[in-house]
Amino acid sequence: MSLDPVQVMKGQDPMALSPPPASNGDSKVSWDEKEGFCDSVGPKKPKSPKPENAVTIAVSSRVLFRTEKEQKVFEEKGVEEYLKYQVEHENEPFAPGPAFPFIKALESVNTRLRELYPESEELFDIVLVTYNHANVGVRLINTINHHNLFIERFCMTGGSSPIGYLKAWHTNLYLSADAEKVQEALSEGIAAATMFMPEKQIEVSETQLRVAFDGDAVLFSDESERIFKAHGLDKFFEHERENENTLLDHGPLKGFLETLGKLQKKFYAKGHRLDCPIRTYLVTARSAASSGIRALKTLRAWGLETDEALFLAGAPKGPMLEKIRPHIYFDDQMFHVEGAVEMGTIAAHVPYGIAQKYPHKKKSTNSAK
Amino acid sequence: MDPQSDCTLVTAVSCHDIFDLQTGQSDSSPLAKGTAFAFIKAVQSVNERLVKLSEKQTLLFEVILLGKDCEEQAKSKIFDSAKYYDLEIGKFCFCSKEKFERTLQENHVKLFLSSDRDDVHSALKAGVPAALLCQQADQQVQNQLKVLFSGDLIGLTEDSTEYLKDLGFNDVQIHNFKAAKGRIQEFAMLIGEMRRRFGCEDSPLHTILMTVWGSRDICATALKTLRAWGLDVDEAFCLAGAPCTPILTVLQPHILWDDGLHNLKET
Repeated sequence: MSLDPVQVMKGQDPMALSPPPASNGDSKVSWDEKEGFCDSVGPKKPKSPKPENAVTIAVSSRVLFRTEKEQKVFEEKGVEEYLKYQVEHENEPFAPGPAFPFIKALESVNTRLRELYPESEELFDIVLVTYNHANVGVRLINTINHHNLFIERFCMTGGSSPIGYLKAWHTNLYLSADAEKVQEALSEGIAAATMFMPEKQIEVSETQLRVAFDGDAVLFSDESERIFKAHGLDKFFEHERENENTLLDHGPLKGFLETLGKLQKKFYAKGHRLDCPIRTYLVTARSAASSGIRALKTLRAWGLETDEALFLAGAPKGPMLEKIRPHIYFDDQMFHVEGAVEMGTIAAHVPYGIAQKYPHKKKSTNSAK
Repeated sequence: MDPQSDCTLVTAVSCHDIFDLQTGQSDSSPLAKGTAFAFIKAVQSVNERLVKLSEKQTLLFEVILLGKDCEEQAKSKIFDSAKYYDLEIGKFCFCSKEKFERTLQENHVKLFLSSDRDDVHSALKAGVPAALLCQQADQQVQNQLKVLFSGDLIGLTEDSTEYLKDLGFNDVQIHNFKAAKGRIQEFAMLIGEMRRRFGCEDSPLHTILMTVWGSRDICATALKTLRAWGLDVDEAFCLAGAPCTPILTVLQPHILWDDGLHNLKET
């Protein structure tokens, strides 16, 4: 089972690596060739899974690690000084950033998956995707070594947009500190979110990956949110009641929940339902008795479910999230993200939908839905 | 320009790559553009920028056109077309197929570029540094010369050949790869010097390191080696065995220097 299936299909002898025989006139190379230029290699399978089989999580250096000091040098003194600084401090590893616990949790899920399915490539694959200049590469690699992370793949684009590379890697989720890049990714159909460093750090589980999602404009589209913003709460309730049996449209993170669900089923299949190392949560301001029904019906129709669904009916999300302690919580409203971060929850902003057009008010009371 | 000057980056390109000599054309019209066209134009803009920085610039690209077994008629067409397109070609070398490698050696070519893998291999065998010239998907877009180096080759050290053995390469091949590293050095140093003349942003020359199979530590070794040679690459990729075609399709490099390490597609 160790032969790369791609090679077997091509029927090539993986050992024949000497210079090619006399040209048949077709030895020109162009990047449009469907077959990989470097694909047909020796018999051993690469350690990292093939991007199309794995769940690829692209993470930027600024959220995987803490780089505030370096950011400051960049903003105050410009790129040349910034690079000089990085090289000077090359042997000083960065401290963990907001995405670090999430990445570590992904790695422990991988360990469990490898134990149960040693031949499978359905694993998390973490790729470091950064705008950084390759000069910072050595420091980043030193840091990855220091923290013993299993990250073998990276793109340092030296300032060019990483979006093309995200697509080339079949990226399932992109986490960055830069809202613009996240927005660009979202517009290209890639699930993405902006992460923020919590002010205090609460402990998260090392054995169970916990991912929490807001409902509207994250798992679902922002259609109901639009009604609420335009016509107010009563209209929203009325609309949801009338459309209870109409499915909501999907949101940017629906696909990611789906991939988590697929991996969960792999654990269930081997008898690990109760101690599954992946747990998902829906944390929504909708009410269980009314507007929440439409959300549940939609999830069910999609064949998705979250392990827990919390309908807050407008109550603040902070305390609930503090209890859950997710490795990451996705919300489309900065107000909620900030509230969560204040209480120590690792939260990520999904800049999608109508909520982005409304500047958030910190002292907003009841955003009951 | 003295082609023997150490600072001139003498690059030889086959006329079959510069122009499309296959498709028939009328006597009056110039030859159609070939694969290398975008490369030459990009090289010219690098030279322009270098000269702008310092008029007495000696560190420049010099492009030599190499014609293998060209008929007399084709030769004049080539001259005329080069003039028509305003191509800065330092020398036109026409030779027979047999004298091909010799011509490269005699002209102190620092880099021979061809889109034909066989030609690249013959040149390498004759000790001439050679790399693959890549077809650009969009000939118009490039205003930067993009040079890609292999991290698997440059990051190769005595201790790190295990993973190549695991991949199926034999000792002879590994020995050849080690020799290849030496060939790249001179070119990399010149490119590094050129690159340093420009700032981080708005450079007409863009350098990339791609490690296809090596681990991140191989990549780190490659980065440090290049830095020691005076070249700080702009972009770096570490693929850990992932298919490189999708990435290369986005990158669209002009020059791919891997000494045949990734040249594994059998016909």
